[in-house]
Amino acid sequence: MTEEHEHPIENLAAYVLGALEGPERIHVVSHVATCTTCASLLEQYRGVVGALPLGLDPVPPPAEAWAAIRAEAARRRPQSPEPARIKRLPTWRRVMWPAVAALAASLLVWNVVLQLELTRRPPGPEVEALARRPGRLVILMGTGAPAASGRLLVAIDGHHGHLATAGLRPLPAERTYQLWFVRPGAPTVTGGTFKVDSRGRAWATITVPVPLDEARVVAITEEPAPGSTAPTGSYLLEAKSWR
Amino acid sequence: MQRGEEAALELLYARYGGLVFTLALRIVGDPELAREVLQDTFLRCWEGSESFDPGRGRVPWWLMGIARNRAIDLLRSRPHQARLREGEQLAVGIGEPTQPDATDSFPTRHAVVSALQGLPIAQRQAIELAYYRGLTQTEIAHELDTPLGTIKSRTREAMDRLRTLLWPLIEPQQEIGRP
Repeated sequence: MTEEHEHPIENLAAYVLGALEGPERIHVVSHVATCTTCASLLEQYRGVVGALPLGLDPVPPPAEAWAAIRAEAARRRPQSPEPARIKRLPTWRRVMWPAVAALAASLLVWNVVLQLELTRRPPGPEVEALARRPGRLVILMGTGAPAASGRLLVAIDGHHGHLATAGLRPLPAERTYQLWFVRPGAPTVTGGTFKVDSRGRAWATITVPVPLDEARVVAITEEPAPGSTAPTGSYLLEAKSWR
Repeated sequence: MQRGEEAALELLYARYGGLVFTLALRIVGDPELAREVLQDTFLRCWEGSESFDPGRGRVPWWLMGIARNRAIDLLRSRPHQARLREGEQLAVGIGEPTQPDATDSFPTRHAVVSALQGLPIAQRQAIELAYYRGLTQTEIAHELDTPLGTIKSRTREAMDRLRTLLWPLIEPQQEIGRP
């Protein structure tokens, strides 16, 4: 069997163009989940496909299009639960769910804004300055896993955020990665658990259970699934200071 | 609605709305349908029904993917097919002056156009039929009356050539959390 047959290289381009179907499509999906070579090529092809519309002669949308989108967005949010269900819910829960939905939407939009800014900026101090603007940025260094790194982006509310990591090895089902906030003279608390993809990367929504400035260390350990009440593994990623 | 959220959506729209509309119009060929695609794309982002995965590319690639899928769905829908069969003249182009944004710089457009024009016609045709008309490899082979293996080779060769020519635009970024 040739390498061409082992790696579905001939089909990667068609797949990323959405032109592959049936068993060949399934084969590509399952193959790239475990093959870093093909996954890397696929990512580059995605870049090509992403660039194709940039070659079109630009046509501005109708002037009233944005107003219609804004009005429809306002109409659709917050999403209401089913009326019958509302009657059975206590008052505090009826108040809570719209708030949760609004918060989730807020986090989504915040994330998109952050990504927009990070995408168009070069790496370096400027990126970190931008990343701090919506909230705070904690840079995690690979202490127990030297090849790994992470960024914890804490939203301006101080209670929620996103965690991005790279370089951690994929774990079996019975193990998980867990984020910790270590406080002096107080119990260590967790911000959540997460898995990484086949390329060792993760992007997870997390909670920040204590004010960030109360923590002395932010760390990530490997724990038995579904997570531990206190860290049992050594620190794989760690941050001791942030601004 | 909180002001910050609306401002974020507006920022996203201001930056990419023109590109989404342009792509949609190229695919569906009808300004009204393109506007529908434009609205659907941003509302899906707003509602969170399409979540952004940084591991699968940059924000504009994500948005273009949503827009393209929606446009192809419309293109394949029965009413649209009926309109095409009836030979209705679809208006393409509105004639308003272009408002430049960061994704619409002339050098970028020139680079992409040059790269596409540098492809052999048969390769460019394979790419455009797949991307803008949403045809599968089998459908392209049928439409062009060409063996499927030839279409696969053309597609791959075209994508490899574009990957080389457009590398400065698509080069993966190393900063974590960045697509």
